[in-house]
Amino acid sequence: MLRFIAKRLLWMVPSLIVVSFLAFVLIQLPPGDYVTTFIATLAASNEVVDQTTAADLRARFGLDQPMIIQYLKWISGILLHGDFGLSFEWQQPVSNLIWERMALTLVLTFSTLLATWGIALPVGVYSAVKKYSVGDYVVTFLSFLGLAIPSFLLALVLMYIAAVEFGQEVGGLFSEAYVNAPWSFGKVLDLLHHLWIPVIILAASGTASLIRVMRANMLDELNKPYVTTARAKGLSEFHLLVKYPLRLALNPFISTISWLLPNLVSGSIIVAIVLSLPTAGPLLLQSLMSQDMYLAGAFVLLICALTLIGSLISDILLALVDPRIRLE
Amino acid sequence: MSEDIQQRTPHCRRLDRRSVLKGFAGATAISALPYAARAEGAKEAPALAKLVVDGKLAPLADRIPASPMVVTVEKVGRYGGALRRGLRGSADHNGILRMVGNQGLVRWNLAFTEVLPNVAEKWEVNADSTEFTFHLRKGMKWSDGHPFTADDIVFAIEDCAKNTELYKSPPTPIVIGGKAGTVTKIDDTTMKFTFASPYALFLEQMATPLGQHPTLFAKHYCSQFHPKYNPAVADLVKAANLSDWGTLFRSKCGDIEIPTRWGNADKPTLDPWVIKEPYTGGATRVVMERNPYFWQVDTAGNQLPYIDRLNFNISQDVESLMLDVISGRLDIQERHIDTLQNKPTLSQNMQKGGYRLIELINSGSQQVQIYLNLTHKDPKMREMFANKEFRKALSLGMNRSEIIELVYLGQSQPYQAGPRPGHPWYHATLATQFSEFDQAQANAILDKLGYAKKDANGFRLRPDGQKIFFAIDVIPTLYPDEVDALELAKRHWADIGIDIKVNTIERALYYTRGDNNDHDAAVWPGPGGLDPMLDPRDFFAQHTQGSRYAVPWAQWYVSGGKDGQEPPESQKQRMKLFDQARATADLQKRGEIMKQLFDLTADAFETIGICLAVNAFGICKTNLANVPAKYPNSWSWPNPGPALPQQFFFST
Repeated sequence: MLRFIAKRLLWMVPSLIVVSFLAFVLIQLPPGDYVTTFIATLAASNEVVDQTTAADLRARFGLDQPMIIQYLKWISGILLHGDFGLSFEWQQPVSNLIWERMALTLVLTFSTLLATWGIALPVGVYSAVKKYSVGDYVVTFLSFLGLAIPSFLLALVLMYIAAVEFGQEVGGLFSEAYVNAPWSFGKVLDLLHHLWIPVIILAASGTASLIRVMRANMLDELNKPYVTTARAKGLSEFHLLVKYPLRLALNPFISTISWLLPNLVSGSIIVAIVLSLPTAGPLLLQSLMSQDMYLAGAFVLLICALTLIGSLISDILLALVDPRIRLE
Repeated sequence: MSEDIQQRTPHCRRLDRRSVLKGFAGATAISALPYAARAEGAKEAPALAKLVVDGKLAPLADRIPASPMVVTVEKVGRYGGALRRGLRGSADHNGILRMVGNQGLVRWNLAFTEVLPNVAEKWEVNADSTEFTFHLRKGMKWSDGHPFTADDIVFAIEDCAKNTELYKSPPTPIVIGGKAGTVTKIDDTTMKFTFASPYALFLEQMATPLGQHPTLFAKHYCSQFHPKYNPAVADLVKAANLSDWGTLFRSKCGDIEIPTRWGNADKPTLDPWVIKEPYTGGATRVVMERNPYFWQVDTAGNQLPYIDRLNFNISQDVESLMLDVISGRLDIQERHIDTLQNKPTLSQNMQKGGYRLIELINSGSQQVQIYLNLTHKDPKMREMFANKEFRKALSLGMNRSEIIELVYLGQSQPYQAGPRPGHPWYHATLATQFSEFDQAQANAILDKLGYAKKDANGFRLRPDGQKIFFAIDVIPTLYPDEVDALELAKRHWADIGIDIKVNTIERALYYTRGDNNDHDAAVWPGPGGLDPMLDPRDFFAQHTQGSRYAVPWAQWYVSGGKDGQEPPESQKQRMKLFDQARATADLQKRGEIMKQLFDLTADAFETIGICLAVNAFGICKTNLANVPAKYPNSWSWPNPGPALPQQFFFST
């Protein structure tokens, strides 16, 4: 086991280097650079950048150098000093910008995960056990609906209703009084008060697909001989379900962990933008849009690292939960 | 008009230039009159008065100058309240600048026609416009209570703006004829700008946002990040984990239009409100509070601003700003919501949101300026575009009234280029030549040019057998209306046998293609409607990015003949005329020179326009008073700044 983990960890180093290079190239690929985008964005509000300033900016950020040199400068800063560089736009260290937003992103992702699993598990099992009953049809209908509605649309509709019909404050994770207040019991309550809207929106589509997966997996297991045998031996129906078929049907849930970690950063971007959530997603999109190289590069690198770590964790967990899976 | 420039004091400066906006200027006249010693009778906000009583703040008379700037307000306001405004999450720092950061040496009047005193109480200009002496206000203070003197301006220009480690080349507004001006201190409240050649436009430049350098850097604070004043600056750079002192300086003291200008709450400013919660990466709001040392008072002697604080909410999605407006959660907003498409929604919800509309006068001239690339890399295309008759045929072949009716809801008129109607420099030929719809004449011209042969689809062929076809670059995300207008023009032109492609591209690509001179043609709104001196890019090849009909000519002009391509004679004459106009202080003479320039532009007919730039709309809560009903919408007149937000107040 330890050998396996060590091997996987070692493999991560070359993968990350390749990925970092690819990421840098991809971000550079669109025509223009940070300065052109900056000028264009300002032009959208009829604003003009002094022409000498533009040339100055380009030279200062090293954008006039060949890409490979820009890459080497960036990667050597990371490898040698652990320095991810300064964001072009904000002139702040990239690492500060990212970590500032990570805490709330974690809260949001894990609440969404809990809500998704909390709903999807029991409902999926129910819908499998009571196959083709009225309840199954209702649940199936709702879950298809959840799959079909894009989450950003749901967010917009909910926001419109809340703002126009109820005059409620929408968007953000805190009310105005608490935005920059230090953490207190009141602030936590305020967070919970605001958190449910994004959680419901984000959970809607995730729940729907997991219900379908759970239902299909359970149906596979329910007809197997060992279930019939257990039932014949007089095991209570609940005990039977939870102890055997459910455990096997859980595998896909564990596999989701591998994409859960990168989702911390990149998931739910559109919903977060629509709802103005102070999470990592909008900052990632913003940095890509403005071609803020160092910030975007750091984000992509982080996402890749999290994907690799996530898949390692889910591999290990799968091996622990399901005795049929072997690591060698 | 013919007053002696040397005696240019604020009282008698009634330059009747650009009477275009006079009508509304009179209605809500806001102008500053320098009264003597006002400070004694002044009153202040209750919160500040309490601090004074508690001994935590100096008395008002010690905080404001002996002769504060007196703002003539429509109604004397009441103190209090928080004003809400929306910002976008990225690159929206100028949204703050426009509201608070408009405190240059001088400022624009409401009509955008003349320059008024601001930080400088008065000034004198010498006969050949090479020396500008400014008199500052005695006893004026930075927002931290430190005195503001001529030393600050000398520091800002000589040590900062002209420092090659900080600015590779000095900012354009302080440069004329390739040489930066020099500032010298005369006494604590007097200083002088000296230029190597006449620079009559300097005062106007100082009233625009890009001319704010003189009042941007507080010497007592910013000098600690400057190696000339702090030999140990390298330690500070190291402690902040930065690469050089320039980066540190910019992150602490900012620059005119970079986000870090609003990212440091410790930096002293001259603005009516100062940063409490900064604009940084990932911020969800920006909060600014009143500057207790603000140097302006109203006519009743009350210190401004009236409003206690500004709350800028940051929305990642611009659409959600509209939602905020409709539900009445923004007090004044025009940024990001001012498109024509939004107008019906905005007017429908006026009652519900509790706001009224403000008309924003477009400072531009042309809504959709079509720039055929007269310096095209392909010689065949170049020859075709460079022919004035060809451009004339295209212009005549376009049904402008249909475009105005369908795309601009009838809110415009056929137009080519030049100062807007009503402007003293309005040039009828330049504005309206070839703007009628006459397909028969267009066809006749094209036949005569040798494009009479047509292919199976009815499109004309060039003598070399190629179909006449070109692509017009347009950025759909920036100007969706231009795409619609071009689609209609494409149909009109198909009727005269000309095929085009409406080339919708991403904005960075648009700029790259323009910079590399790779485009066939491009569209952009044509500027210079109210400020022809400040943005003449459509009148001759002046702007290396903006004069898209001949970028290499503009490069030739800007580099003084070193780069780019040599332009034709008419262009060279106009370049000379413009340099001459820029050096002429007498407005009448300047107008005469510009008339010659416009004559040449009209004769050359380089750009094809569709219609007069359309006015936009903003919103303002019904209880927000002293906001003019209309004002210009421009970057040189950074709305709403010159309408003086410090004298807005909540009436209920």
